[in-house]
Amino acid sequence: MKQLWQVREVSTLMILVLEVAFFTWYLWPSDGGHPFLNVGNALLILKYSSIYGIAAIGAAIVIITGGIDLSSGAVIGLTSVVTGYFFVQADWSLTASALMGLMVGLSAGLASSWLIVGMRLPPFIATLGVMGIWRGAGYIITEARFYDLSAKLPRNWTVVGVSIDWVPPLVMVALAGTFQVLMKRFQWGRAIFAVGGNETAALFSGLRVGLVKTTAYVTAGLLAAISGVVLAVVQGQGKADLANGYELDIIASAVVGGTSLTGGRGSVAGAVLGALIFGVLRNALPQIPGATFYDRVIVGLAVIVIVVMDQIMVRRGEA
Amino acid sequence: MITAGLEFCDVAKAFGAVQALRGVSFTIAAGDAHACVGENGAGKSTLLKILAGIIRPDRGALSWAGERIHFSTPREALEHGIGMVYQEMLAFPNLSVTANIFAGREITNRWGVLDERAMRARTQELLMQLHVPVTPDTSMQHVSTACAQLVQVARALAFDCRVLVLDEPTTSLTDAEVDHLFGVVTRLRQQGVTVLFVSHRLPEVYRLCDRITVLRDGQFVDTFERATTPSDDIVRAMVGREPPRRVPHSSSVPQFPSSPVPQFPSSPALQVRGLSRRPAFEDVSFQVAPGEIVGMFGLVGSGRTEILETLFGLATPDAGQVAVDGQAIYVRSTRDAARAGLALVPENRQRQGLFFNLSLRHNLVLPLAAKQGVGLIRDAGEETAARAQVEALTIKAPHLKVTPDALSGGNQQKIVAGKWLATTPKVLLLDEPTKGVDVGAKFEIHNLIRHQADAGMACLMVSSDLPEVLALADRILVMREGHLRGELPGAGATEETVMRLATHDVDLDRPAGGNA
Ligand SMILES: Nc1ncnc2c1ncn2[C@@H]1O[C@H](COP(=O)(O)OP(=O)(O)OP(=O)(O)O)[C@@H](O)[C@H]1O
Ligand SMILES: [Mg+2]
Repeated sequence: MKQLWQVREVSTLMILVLEVAFFTWYLWPSDGGHPFLNVGNALLILKYSSIYGIAAIGAAIVIITGGIDLSSGAVIGLTSVVTGYFFVQADWSLTASALMGLMVGLSAGLASSWLIVGMRLPPFIATLGVMGIWRGAGYIITEARFYDLSAKLPRNWTVVGVSIDWVPPLVMVALAGTFQVLMKRFQWGRAIFAVGGNETAALFSGLRVGLVKTTAYVTAGLLAAISGVVLAVVQGQGKADLANGYELDIIASAVVGGTSLTGGRGSVAGAVLGALIFGVLRNALPQIPGATFYDRVIVGLAVIVIVVMDQIMVRRGEA
Repeated sequence: MITAGLEFCDVAKAFGAVQALRGVSFTIAAGDAHACVGENGAGKSTLLKILAGIIRPDRGALSWAGERIHFSTPREALEHGIGMVYQEMLAFPNLSVTANIFAGREITNRWGVLDERAMRARTQELLMQLHVPVTPDTSMQHVSTACAQLVQVARALAFDCRVLVLDEPTTSLTDAEVDHLFGVVTRLRQQGVTVLFVSHRLPEVYRLCDRITVLRDGQFVDTFERATTPSDDIVRAMVGREPPRRVPHSSSVPQFPSSPVPQFPSSPALQVRGLSRRPAFEDVSFQVAPGEIVGMFGLVGSGRTEILETLFGLATPDAGQVAVDGQAIYVRSTRDAARAGLALVPENRQRQGLFFNLSLRHNLVLPLAAKQGVGLIRDAGEETAARAQVEALTIKAPHLKVTPDALSGGNQQKIVAGKWLATTPKVLLLDEPTKGVDVGAKFEIHNLIRHQADAGMACLMVSSDLPEVLALADRILVMREGHLRGELPGAGATEETVMRLATHDVDLDRPAGGNA
C-alpha cells in the first residue's frame, strides 16, 4: 500500500502548509495584528489564486493528454474584454455577459484542437498561434480602451447568500472537486490518462483519440474563460492586456501540483494546490522588507525545488 | 468443405515503394484455429492490422460468413468482435494492470462511474487463468516484458470476441506459460471462437492450429492441413526453396556441429558471486569463461532478465560481487558496465533496443561508433559496415535510410541483435536475442553468436525458447523463483531435464547458488 505522504495531492498539500507556517513565523509581528495571517489576507490570496487555479485545472488535463496549452492567459484576457463589452457597452446582464465570455474559451479550445487533431500541428505551436490571435483580438476590440465593470457592479453584493469575495474560491474548489472525480472515476478521465500514457496503444485499444484530445482542449479553454470572468469581476475591468504571461504561471501550478509534462500523470486537485502555493508566495514575498527585487528569483527557485523534491519522493516510492 | 468464416479477398497494401501485401486471398473456417506463417516481413502483421481496422488496404475486401466487413477504426473492429493481440505489445506504462486491460472499454455502473471492483475481480480472474505473477494494481511500468505480453493477451480475452487474433503472443514465454495460454484459447475455441495465430515457433503452430497459411513476400503461397503436412513442407513454402541445410526437424532450431568443449582458463571472463536484488533474485553465483556460451533458462518471473539488467547497471544489487577478467567491478551505471567490457542485447526492442528517430544505418553502427569513440563520423565506412550487417542478417528493408518503425517486428529484432554482435565486448549479455525472428535469420544470428564466442567472447544468453538454449549453450543455468536451481551441461541436457529444474522443487544437481 502507498504511504499517505506518497499520495501526490497530500505531499503538495504538505508543501502548502509548510509554506504558510514559514511565512507566519517569518512575518510574525513584534506588535499588533499579523500582516500575513489574518482573514482579510487569506481571502485576498484565495481570491487571486482562484484565477490561476481554475485555469490550472484545464492546464493539468491538457498536459496529462501529453499536450500543452499556451493560450490560457490570452483567453483570460479576451474573456474579460468580451464580458466587459457586453456588460458595459451592450448593457446586458452580468450572467448573459459572462456566458458570452465563455464563448471565448470555447472557441479557443475548438480552434486549438482543430489545429492539433485535424491539422496535426504540435500542441505547442497550435496553442502559441491561438494565444497570439486571441490576445490580439482583445486589442482590436478595445482599441486601447478598457471596460469599467466596477461602476456597474453593485457594491457588497451576494450570490445566493454568499458574499462576492468568497465566490471565486468556492467556484475553484467546486470545479476542482468535480474534475477530480471526473478524472479518477469516469471513463473520460481514464481516456485522458490513456492517451497521455501511450497514444498508439490508445488508438489500438479503440479509444477515439481525436475526440478525447478535443474535449481536453475545449475543457481547458472553458476553464480559462471562467478564470477570465472571475478576473473581470474581481478587478472590475475588461482590458486586453490583463493576465499577460499568466499561461506560464498556470502551467507551473499544474507541474508543481504533480502533473508530468511528458503526459500520462497528474492531478487537477494538485494543480489547484499548486496555484495556491504560488498565490501565497506572490502575497507574502512583497511583505518581506528588501525582498522586492528578489521575488521573481524566489518564485523560479521554488518551482525547481518543489519539482525536484517531488521526483525524489516518487523515486523513493517506487523503489 | 470449409464453412465460410473469415475471408480475405485479394487484399493488397503498399507502404510507399514497399509492397507489403500483393493480393492475398484465403479463407478461415468459422471456429477454426488457423495459423499464418512466413518469413520476417512477409506481411503477416500488415494483414492482421487490416483486419483490426488499423491499416486501410489499397484494394481487396474482407468478409465474415459471406458478408462483407469493413472496419475503418480499431474501435469498429472491436465492436464487431475482433479481439487482437499486437506484436508490438502496446501498454500504458502510467496505468495499473487493471486499467490497461480495460482501457477504452471500462466497466461502469449506470451513472457512468467506473466500477473498479468489477474490473479488478475480472482482472484477477484472467491473471489467474493465464498464471501471470502480477497483481491487478501493479503499475504497468513495473511489469516485466514477459508478463506484459501476458497482460496484452488478457486484454484480448477480457471481452467476448468472435475472432481472436494473436500476433506472436509467445515470443517472451516459455512452454509452461504457453501451456496456460493455449489452455485458455482451446476453451474459447470450444465456445466457437475463431482463432488466427501468428508465430515463428512451428511446434506451437502445430499444437494449436488445424490449418496453416503460408505467406511469402506479401503473397499467399498455400494453406496446409496440419494433419497431413510435415513441418519441412511449411518451411520450404515459407522460404520458397529448399530450407537451408542444417535447419532441422520440428524444433525449428539449427543444431551446431558439436563445438569443442571450451578450455576453462584460470580467470573466467565473468564471475558473479552471491548477487542479490530482492525480490527479483537472491544469492546467484556463476561464471562464464571466455569463448563459452552459457544459457540461462527459467519461467516467466524467475528473475532471468533482472539478473542481466543488474549486471549491466540498469538496477542496483543489494549484495554480491561481479568480476570481469578477474577484476572486481562496481557497476553503477550502464556506462560503467560498457567500460568494463559488457554489452547487453535488451529484451524489449520497442522500449530499450532501438532509436526510432534514427535511420536503420545509424541504428546498426551506433554501438560500434560509440565503442571506437570517434567524434567524426565517416560516411563511407558506416555505409559499408551497415550494408554488410543488413546482408548478413537478411534484414528486409527498402534502403538504409528507413527508420525502424517501418520494418516488420522480426527485422527490428535483427537490428537489435546484430548491432551488438558487431562489437566485440568481453562479455555479451543477450536477452531473448531471436525474439520473433524467422527460422533462417535465427540460424544466422546463432552463427554470429557462435562465431564471436569462438573468437573469445563470453556469452550469457537468456532465452525462453528452450530448443534455442539447448542448441546453442555450452552450459545451462536454470532459474526458479529468483534462485539458481541448477546447472546442466549443454550437451547432455534435454527439454525435460531443464523443465524439471525450472518448474519442480527438486534440485537435480548441486544447488549452484552457493547457499548449500
Ligand atoms: N508502417 C510501415 N511503413 C513502411 N513499411 C512498412 C510499415 N509496416 C510494415 N512495412 C513493411 O511491410 C512489410 C511487411 O511487414 P509486416 O510487419 O507485415 O511483416 P511480418 O510478416 O509481420 O513480419 P515479422 O515476422 O517480422 O513480424 C515489411 O517489408 C515492412 O518493412
Ligand atoms: Mg509481424
